Amino acid sequence: MDKALLEIRGLKVGFPTPDGLVRASDTVDLDIYPHETLGLIGETGSGKTVLSMAILRLLQPNTIIKGEIRYRGRDLLSLPEDEMRKVRGREIGVVLQNSGTSLNPVYTVGDQIAEAITLHQGLKRSSAWHRAVELLDAVRIPDPVRMARGYPHQFSGGMQERVLIAMALACNPSFLIADEPTKGLDAVTKREIIDLFREVNRDRSVLFITHDIEAARNLATRVAVIYAGEIIELGNSGVVLSEPAHPYTRGLLESLPERGMRPIPGSAPSLITPPSGCRFSPRCRCAAEDCKSEHPGLVEVGPGHYARCMLYDRG
Amino acid sequence: MTVSRKIILAASLGIILTYCAVAILAPMIAPYDPHAITGAPLSPPDREHPLGTNDLAQDIFSRLIWGTRATLLIGFLGAAIAVVLGTGIGIVSGYYGGMIDEAIMRIIDVAMTIPIFPLLLILTTFFRPGIYVIAVLMGLLGSFQGVRLIRSQVLSLAVADFVTGTKALGARDSYIMGRHILPNVLPLAGVKFVFSAQHFMLIGIGLGFLGIGDPSVVDWGQMINRASQNGAIILGLWWWLIPPGLAVTLISLALAWLGYACEDEINPRLRLLRV
Repeated sequence: MDKALLEIRGLKVGFPTPDGLVRASDTVDLDIYPHETLGLIGETGSGKTVLSMAILRLLQPNTIIKGEIRYRGRDLLSLPEDEMRKVRGREIGVVLQNSGTSLNPVYTVGDQIAEAITLHQGLKRSSAWHRAVELLDAVRIPDPVRMARGYPHQFSGGMQERVLIAMALACNPSFLIADEPTKGLDAVTKREIIDLFREVNRDRSVLFITHDIEAARNLATRVAVIYAGEIIELGNSGVVLSEPAHPYTRGLLESLPERGMRPIPGSAPSLITPPSGCRFSPRCRCAAEDCKSEHPGLVEVGPGHYARCMLYDRG
Repeated sequence: MTVSRKIILAASLGIILTYCAVAILAPMIAPYDPHAITGAPLSPPDREHPLGTNDLAQDIFSRLIWGTRATLLIGFLGAAIAVVLGTGIGIVSGYYGGMIDEAIMRIIDVAMTIPIFPLLLILTTFFRPGIYVIAVLMGLLGSFQGVRLIRSQVLSLAVADFVTGTKALGARDSYIMGRHILPNVLPLAGVKFVFSAQHFMLIGIGLGFLGIGDPSVVDWGQMINRASQNGAIILGLWWWLIPPGLAVTLISLALAWLGYACEDEINPRLRLLRV
């Protein structure tokens, strides 16, 4: 395999709160290779967005971040702020979640896409605007010349999502982070956005964050499943999403409507005092005695397929 | 906007614009030099003197027109300084948060305990500053409230998704504050400007009335002061006392109306409360 474009090593992210340290990411190791789409799956609050914000270094200043995030060999976490600014938008693009509030209500969408271009390229306003219209066309907004002059509130949710994708692609970044881009969209719109991403993802590496397993199955080459800040399963999406090794991933699949809609009992654990041993053990059907005391490592269970479960870590 | 609210807005804008026009065109409109002796003292209104003369035989109509300049200058210059300072500091404080915000807010807490009017009284009594200095002082002392107002708005804007999004595009902080935060607080700053202007005009009139305004300029406060000191009320010289009083009331009312109308526009919930 090629050398990874983005390498995350031992990433720990903690938020100090009056109740204690919230460990939003705990010792995450992840590689993203050129031209692959890595789906990051997990429930709300499992640390998906935190991971993307850590890559871009957009977390609150008091956040405690340890480990390494290497992009093309450079450690982003130790980069000076000036250099980091040149990485954001130009090298790494991001489609944030909540498309409705991610656009400034006082500017036209054309202005905002043109802004994404001029922040990194010394383009004249007129040519940036021209490029913005091209981008709107590329994300299949009908009548882009007229729509570029529209304000965000005149756009539907799906259209706003497309505008955000256009902004993220403005400088043609080689790495794209998409944070739950299908959230809150109806089934038809969702399908359209997934189709659009299939096209977008062809030319770049993508970290596709979602809790929509269907979207991950459609787009991702590999998937990582995250639970309570830890990666608990990683592998080719075809394998992980059809023959999952980890009981949690199995539970996720069984909770899908077409697979019987059986919920996983219990609720997501506290990130301040996570359960001892395996973090999923209090909710796990397969839990044994040692699951409550031993913390399993990420073990290779098949070719390129890893799982963090005592089932495979009993030597 | 309902019809009655439109009428009020139009009327207040009309009054304010008329005052501005009068202030700018004062030399052309005023029939006499406001300081000149123009006839008999204390004469009631007649064809020569539409509002009569004062005890120094100065034409009151001319003084009233020239006085517009001082009042508007104090109000608008003071408000402009207060709002520019308040908006600038408020944006920085709210955007960066943390220690910067903490430091600025504690200084403001202390500064806000200083009552503006008595402080201005003392300063003007001792230093006898000119009208520009008075306006600047008002602007400086009056900016604290604006800082708080703008900061509280910026606190929520600073964590808005579109601000995070702009950071993710690689924008620097100064760019985000100037291009993305500022336009979103401008309506609030505008309303603050109108109310500050009204407030500072009244303070300016008050200082003049207490006899500690800038003696080199004609202002309504000093006109009222002189009239009441020299027995305008006892002698029934209404033309000396009433016109400057009415002029103040009208501009103050117009600014208040304009302020409320703008406030309703940016915060529609207030409309329900005021019905």
